[in-house]
Amino acid sequence: MNFTPDTKVLIQGITDVIGSTHAALMKAYGTNVVAGISPGCGGQTVQEIPVFDMVEQALRQVGPVDVTVIFVKPYAVLDAALEAIAAGIRQIIIITEGMPPLDMVKLVRKAEATDTLVLGPNTPGIIVPGKVLLGIHKSDFYTPGSVGLISRSGTLTYEIALQLTQAKLGQSIAIGIGSDAILGSSFAQWLQILDEDDHTEAIVLVGEIGGSSEEEAAHYIAAAIDKPVVAYVAGHHAPKGKRLGHAGDIMAARLSTGKTFNIVGADPDTAQSKIQAFKAAKIPVASSPAEIPNLVKKVLKQKKK
Amino acid sequence: MDLLEYQAKELFREMGIPVLPSQRIDHPKDLKGLKIPYPVVLKSQVRAGGRGRAGGIKFVANTIDAVAAAQNIFHLPINTEYPEVLLAEAKYDTDREFYLAVVLDRAARRPLLLGSRQGGTSTELAMEQMQQVVVDEGFSPFYARRLTLKMGCTGPLIEAVSDIVEKMYLLFVEKDLDLVEINPLGISPVGEVMALDGKVTVNDEALGRHPSLLQLLPKTQPDEGLLAGSGSEVMAVPSELNFVELDGNIGLLCNGAGLTMATLDLVYAAGGKPANFVNIGGECRWDLTPELLCDRIKLGLALVSQKKNVKVVLVNLLGGLCSCTQAVKAIADYQKQSQRETATGNPQTQVKVIVRLYGSEIDQAREILQAVEVTVVENLDEAIALSVSLATNG
Repeated sequence: MNFTPDTKVLIQGITDVIGSTHAALMKAYGTNVVAGISPGCGGQTVQEIPVFDMVEQALRQVGPVDVTVIFVKPYAVLDAALEAIAAGIRQIIIITEGMPPLDMVKLVRKAEATDTLVLGPNTPGIIVPGKVLLGIHKSDFYTPGSVGLISRSGTLTYEIALQLTQAKLGQSIAIGIGSDAILGSSFAQWLQILDEDDHTEAIVLVGEIGGSSEEEAAHYIAAAIDKPVVAYVAGHHAPKGKRLGHAGDIMAARLSTGKTFNIVGADPDTAQSKIQAFKAAKIPVASSPAEIPNLVKKVLKQKKK
Repeated sequence: MDLLEYQAKELFREMGIPVLPSQRIDHPKDLKGLKIPYPVVLKSQVRAGGRGRAGGIKFVANTIDAVAAAQNIFHLPINTEYPEVLLAEAKYDTDREFYLAVVLDRAARRPLLLGSRQGGTSTELAMEQMQQVVVDEGFSPFYARRLTLKMGCTGPLIEAVSDIVEKMYLLFVEKDLDLVEINPLGISPVGEVMALDGKVTVNDEALGRHPSLLQLLPKTQPDEGLLAGSGSEVMAVPSELNFVELDGNIGLLCNGAGLTMATLDLVYAAGGKPANFVNIGGECRWDLTPELLCDRIKLGLALVSQKKNVKVVLVNLLGGLCSCTQAVKAIADYQKQSQRETATGNPQTQVKVIVRLYGSEIDQAREILQAVEVTVVENLDEAIALSVSLATNG
């Protein structure tokens, strides 16, 4: 994984509502968007980007691309992603929220079989500040630097990027892993990628209540990550059992035995469990977004010693 | 969203999972035309668990008993829920009761088969003996056989139980479900299997492509529905808005679940008490337009400021889809309208609005909002501190 201004990017769903808005923003940021896909709109252009009916047609015209960013409607995402994989694309970012979980199960199986990296769904995507925007991050809050940011949230990630920027801590990359219940890639996968990234000196991991991905990340950091990590978990005071907006923070199937199997509801208690996991792994945990820059400065100083 | 037992069993029947002869009872007098021979069991059709213990399941031997029992069950709330229908079902002679389920394992990102030889109401035993099989690749019946062997089934029971598991799995995938559960699966003395109770949870996000399931659900979902307004008018809350009432005096409006949670945490940490919060939604919805977002800002403001005890509303919006100016205009529009309404009533009740904004257009935004007496704060912690202090000290 190495995203630069030369990275060739495809946008699937480029004539859809958010696709066209963000195609313009991505291009304005310097992203090398070479083609867009929108069945029935082949031959048109959006922001001077040529539009094709199918991925394979686009690739015949513009050559292989490195990554596709998908904005199509939820029930069309699986098909769009399978079409991209069939055309040989091995990095996929799914912005769309609300893809049915069983579609995602199918996509995960296909991605594993073809060694395809899938980010999302329901993600702001990736930004390498000053270089490339692959998604919908609020780019003016970011500035180039050496802090890697990995998050389950969208807008909360922009908040934390802004606080880092204001504290003169630029970012090497920011990744939203997504907020839906079933995700294409995990915190662990992206931690590994950032651990190997030459531009990243410290990592900020932004978690929230629900699921168990933060606990898994904490174990993984303790076992395999050399770079310093700072964590933050949102949702201590979230009201129990209420839907807050992420499919990932509330789930779903409660068995008649009273258990939720491997599935934790919108439960503020999970914030405490996640923080304990980070502390057990000796990872400093910020109590607020504003505290993150101080903790990052501290771990960077310790690292230099 | 959970289906009722009789709806789940209808799906089972279509899939070929054995269920007992049964009849839907909408009114006690329906029992007079009962086509199932006595004795029968009458079951309250509610979504809450623990029906048996609450008295919602009764065995009856004749019509007179049945009508009396039905009247009783129709008037029996189970966890505050009254049944709209009952299910009359034939009685079944069981030797043993198993537990079976299909769910999604979020960590493995695969469907998971669950089974226990201790089903029925002994839920702790069921969990203790629960066996699991992950359906790693495309389904094939051996996954179901693997589960039944782990459960300790032998002989003809292996095929009988795994056949049920296979059909549950096919239903799970075909209808995009979150859960298919049979508890208990009755095993007769001669080894016949029967789904005695069933639970099906549909996936909300996939419902749009299953109109037949959508029809089965109640028109308003318990968490949403209608909300009483400040006056006599009633305000509808669209399901995309995550609006939650609490009991403090600060209203919160944010976009995105993570930002909403973080803002909520910060208000509590600063000693404030939220009256409610609304998450107008993240920016990943494929059909979201700046206009829609602005409409949600206005609706969200109306929602969080309508309760009498709300003194301050804090707006924290970050994102790239709509410009600062567009968002600010939506807030100003709402504020002007609410000022006009307040001017005719008591001006003292005007809610103070704090907007946390950051970006290149902030000076212009400040100007627009100053004109309608809305304070703009750039720093999040300062915005929180100001909101809490205004809510505390008036």
